[in-house]
Amino acid sequence: MEVLNSAQALPQPRRASTAEYLNAWVTAREAFWLALETLRAHRLRSFLTLLGVVIATTTLIVVMSVINGMNLYIANHVANLGANTFVLSQFKWAQGEQAWLKARRRNRPIRISDYEFLKRNLTGYKVLGATASMETGTVIRYGGQILYDVSVTGVTPSMEDIGEDQPESGRYISASDYQHASLVCFIGQDIVSHFFPTLDPLGREILVNGTPFRVVGVAKTIGTVFGQSEDNFVQIPLTTFRRIFMARPSIDVSIQAWSAAQMPPLEDEVRTLMRVRRHIPYQQSDTFGINASDTIMTLWKQLTGSIFAVTIAIVAVFMVVGGIVIMNIMLATVTERTHEIGIRKSLGARRRDILTQFVIESMVMAASGGALGVLLSLLISRLVNLVFTSSVPVSAIVVGVGLSAAVGLFFGIYPARKAAQLDPIEALRMEM
Amino acid sequence: MQSQIETAYTPEWESPPDDIVIRARDLWKTYEMGAVQVHALCGVSFDIKRGEYVAIMGPSGSGKSTLMNLIGCLDTPTRGRYWLNGKLVSELTDDELAYIRNKEIGFVFQTFNLLPRASALHNVELPLIYNGTPAAERAERAREALRMVELADRMDHKPNELSGGQRQRVAVARALVNHPCILLADEPTGNLDTATGVEIMNLFDRLHHSGNTIVLVTHEHDIAARAHRIIHIRDGRIDRDEATR
Repeated sequence: MEVLNSAQALPQPRRASTAEYLNAWVTAREAFWLALETLRAHRLRSFLTLLGVVIATTTLIVVMSVINGMNLYIANHVANLGANTFVLSQFKWAQGEQAWLKARRRNRPIRISDYEFLKRNLTGYKVLGATASMETGTVIRYGGQILYDVSVTGVTPSMEDIGEDQPESGRYISASDYQHASLVCFIGQDIVSHFFPTLDPLGREILVNGTPFRVVGVAKTIGTVFGQSEDNFVQIPLTTFRRIFMARPSIDVSIQAWSAAQMPPLEDEVRTLMRVRRHIPYQQSDTFGINASDTIMTLWKQLTGSIFAVTIAIVAVFMVVGGIVIMNIMLATVTERTHEIGIRKSLGARRRDILTQFVIESMVMAASGGALGVLLSLLISRLVNLVFTSSVPVSAIVVGVGLSAAVGLFFGIYPARKAAQLDPIEALRMEM
Repeated sequence: MQSQIETAYTPEWESPPDDIVIRARDLWKTYEMGAVQVHALCGVSFDIKRGEYVAIMGPSGSGKSTLMNLIGCLDTPTRGRYWLNGKLVSELTDDELAYIRNKEIGFVFQTFNLLPRASALHNVELPLIYNGTPAAERAERAREALRMVELADRMDHKPNELSGGQRQRVAVARALVNHPCILLADEPTGNLDTATGVEIMNLFDRLHHSGNTIVLVTHEHDIAARAHRIIHIRDGRIDRDEATR
């Protein structure tokens, strides 16, 4: 009988059972609420402790937001030539200074004849349009009012089909306007708000460098790019532009493909046709530029890539400093709460329970610093938006809080281990 | 685990039958103070039966605190074996001891040792948290334990809003909430005035009557006299083991 008892008395090695995982979960949840409680109890101390993490998160998210905002901006405004559209012009955009200087000597302007040549020979395009612009030295008048430096652009009626200029009221430049070189214009919202704040602009005549043009259409609002309004324009038929302002303008040819997949072959076709037309030998580079949205985006991504790398380095330094401050305060907390740890141990808290408690406390602390940083950066993002552009990506919020929590975890482990390894008798003896 | 030699020193017949809740055999506790070895306990052996009410008495420095720490599984003996509720606990690891403390032992301390920032209810819930009892059941059992010590109306009070006697009753409720096999009280009336002390001792009497095993560590004779058996400790050995009634 007693021999049997002895066998029962031997301690059985305990294995992690479902009940124990549940146990860990209960402890962790308890630790979570306890951590929030502690944060609330020591508001100022926690805030000061978390300053490093707050600044790191804020920096990270603000930079991510500004870059993200500018990405969207560039994609929406600068680089958007229209869907599946590329532009043939005298120079390739967004190239290095040396290349540009070289191109400036070699490249010849694109002429109306080039446009007509492409129109005759190019196959498989959806829309082909041409534009010629005067950006400066223009004077627009209506009644007693004057606007200077409005962009005056001569367009082919096909530009409407590319889809960037849509009439809000009235119509776009028509084929008939083009054919007859009529004195009609399609104006941007800035012109409307300046000249016709209360009137219907349709049918009224404005003076463009002294020549009267009848308004036939008003464009939808486009917005601003880098603080510069994109609605400050007057579009007239290209034929009229040539008749009145510039007989032989340098033009841009916009070419729209049927689909994104057809962009590269269409670009190749344009390049080949132009090279043949200009008799460019095999070894020599193009004397014209073919520009698509991705030209600009590539350059932009390179630029922001280096900004981002620097930011990451700065944030890493902030985070490490913030983490060390958290570790310091957690070590103080462990000392301060030694008696409490003793009580918990006497009631059956295992090492891992105490470890969990303090690691979670450290994580919750750091994560709330991260959350504070997110709030702060949302605020800053709002302010930035007043003068520039910024858009907080959801990923930034996740990364911000997650990274802070990870820092809390990493720097919380050492103090938590110290707490977990306290001897219960010693700890209980420590009176508060 | 256990070596062959140790097995030879502690014959199988020492392992306790069911009605023995505590069996200590030749417990030694030795502290190294620099080069000097201090023997806090020198070969203590005793049995405590289920349902007994035992007081451990001794002057300070006698080793009774060390013995209490061993009985309470807060510490392990340097040598010797100790069975609690049929389990040989003298050779368990720290975490296993924590588990035993949680399941089998209810502590009542002289200084109450309540968490100052937690309510009475939460203090009583603590042992249940560490064995993973779900929240709803936890609150229910903690309320039940507080009702047992007649503190049902003070559940949401923090320790500093309670009187000394009430705090000690909260501690008793916390000790009982997990239905341990022994209630281990270390000078439970040490920080209380006489009247409150008597009140707490009456509570212990009641708990004993309802079947709890109580081990009381004290140096006060009139407190110890409440128990049915007194183990006197002196210089790390059992001096006298007497029944009071």
